[in-house]
Amino acid sequence: MSEVLAPMSGKVIDLKVKVGDSVKEDDEVIIIEAMKMEMPLAAPQDGTVKEVNVKVGDSIDPDAVLMIIE
Amino acid sequence: MSLQDKLDELIRRNKEAELGGGQGRIDSLHQKGKLTARERVEALMDKDSFQEIDKFVVHRCYNFGAEKTKIPGDGVVTGYGTINGRMTFVFSHDSTVFGGSLSGPFGEKVCKVMDLAVNNKCPIVGLNDSGGARIQEGVISLGSYGEIFKRNVMTSGVIPQISVIMGACAGGAVYSPAITDFIIMVDKTSHMFITGPQVIKAVTSEDVSAEKLGGAMTHNAISGVAHFSAKSDLDALKLTKELLAYFPQNSDEKPAVIPCSDPADRIDMSLRDVVPDNAKKPYNIKDIIRKIVDHGHFFEVQKNYARNMVVGFARMGGMSVGFVCNQPNFLAGCIDINASLKCSRFVRSCDCFNIPLITLVDVPGFLPGVSQEHGGIIKHGSKIIYAYVDASVPKITVITRKAYGGAYDVMSSKHHGGDINYAYPTAEVAVMGPEGAVNIIMRKELNAVPEEEREALREKLIADYRATFANPYTAAELGYIDEVISPEFTRPKIIAALRMLKNKVVITHHRKHGNIPL
Repeated sequence: MSEVLAPMSGKVIDLKVKVGDSVKEDDEVIIIEAMKMEMPLAAPQDGTVKEVNVKVGDSIDPDAVLMIIE
Repeated sequence: MSLQDKLDELIRRNKEAELGGGQGRIDSLHQKGKLTARERVEALMDKDSFQEIDKFVVHRCYNFGAEKTKIPGDGVVTGYGTINGRMTFVFSHDSTVFGGSLSGPFGEKVCKVMDLAVNNKCPIVGLNDSGGARIQEGVISLGSYGEIFKRNVMTSGVIPQISVIMGACAGGAVYSPAITDFIIMVDKTSHMFITGPQVIKAVTSEDVSAEKLGGAMTHNAISGVAHFSAKSDLDALKLTKELLAYFPQNSDEKPAVIPCSDPADRIDMSLRDVVPDNAKKPYNIKDIIRKIVDHGHFFEVQKNYARNMVVGFARMGGMSVGFVCNQPNFLAGCIDINASLKCSRFVRSCDCFNIPLITLVDVPGFLPGVSQEHGGIIKHGSKIIYAYVDASVPKITVITRKAYGGAYDVMSSKHHGGDINYAYPTAEVAVMGPEGAVNIIMRKELNAVPEEEREALREKLIADYRATFANPYTAAELGYIDEVISPEFTRPKIIAALRMLKNKVVITHHRKHGNIPL
């Protein structure tokens, strides 16, 4: 099991997956915006999306757990 | 004793020394996938070039029964030979002998070879696999460590010093590598810590594995202590050879220029498509590096640490160069504390050994936040300024997109001594991004209009600002940018500048030494 963490504070602008989806390592799973830049975040491992803790438009803090992949 | 007996005695003694701590311990090393101290040296050096010295040195300790066991060599193999035809000195800890622990004579051997290296102005490579001080020797081993540390410092910037960590290195055994120019760690079989897991458990009750505390990935990704992670002993030695190839033998020399079959005037139209049209979209700065360097080969340093800054070596027109680049793909390319440390150390490493610096800039600014300010980003960020201004090597800068605010200044700007500063037509050299700037300087105008018209006005003002400042031409009109270039010409332009700057000299004021904000 591994977590997708927020690298810095910002805003969620797109979710590429939902709970139950299967993902491959390095797949883009979530896009956040910070410093007026889009930042794609990748799945840290192959697996299934177990939890999605944010929705589009949410503000996020550094190191917040955005998603759990199992 | 007959002559034959004397010759036989030499053969016997050599064999004894070469067996180190015995076949049993050698077999156990091999089972773990590790090489012996001598096998490592053989793999590092050109075939049959290694000349060993001090092979018969033994310890002189009479404490705690130590006198009963003496093994010739005393736990370290030292000597010299060639790597890719160039003279290099080496010491290699032998963990089969007293765990590779450091005695007085062990330290004397290492110091002897370090002195030879610096006096003959050739690089030194340390293959480290040592549990630390030999406790039976008491304060003598501390004295020996001190002698080694002192030499590391005195030698710093005179000859390249490379440390390869190939086993568990604890206590004093980690400070010597820390002073050297680069640390290469073998993944899974090497560790570095000041105090190991048992001591931590006893003192603070923290439970942590050796791997998590001080393994290769810990030091490559989290602490930034190490510069490379290798898959095996052999891989680590291969990395060492490649790394040394970018360096001259000493700071009086320039790096070797090798024959290059990749044309210096090669243009690459695909460079036009790397920087996205939309300023919000990230891209991989390494895509630009690989398209402009010789044969697309980029030797990245600290690739798992502070990934918002990319540093590493490559060749351009056969010349050795160091790249320092913001990485828009990670943290938007913001400069934070770790990126500052990574960048400034690399700039210093290149400058000591006359390796020109190529800086690719796409930076939205310094990372805002309480943790950054409280962590001392002011102090650490200023190291970049210090390192770049102090660097007297040729400095060539290419602004690919954003160069905002203080981050514009620090990234090898004209004002900090950039010799040739290029910008792509996509460059935006400004105090800040259009959105932020408009919100501040046009606040009154924005507040003066009714709310429903405010967004439209904001959009218009942002467009005006972008047209006025978010381009390379204002900076080019001031001479801060020497030339605005189309991306496909990046390689020939940089190589032309490198050739022009070949004999660059910088006159500096006399001083004892500057006071870098450490």
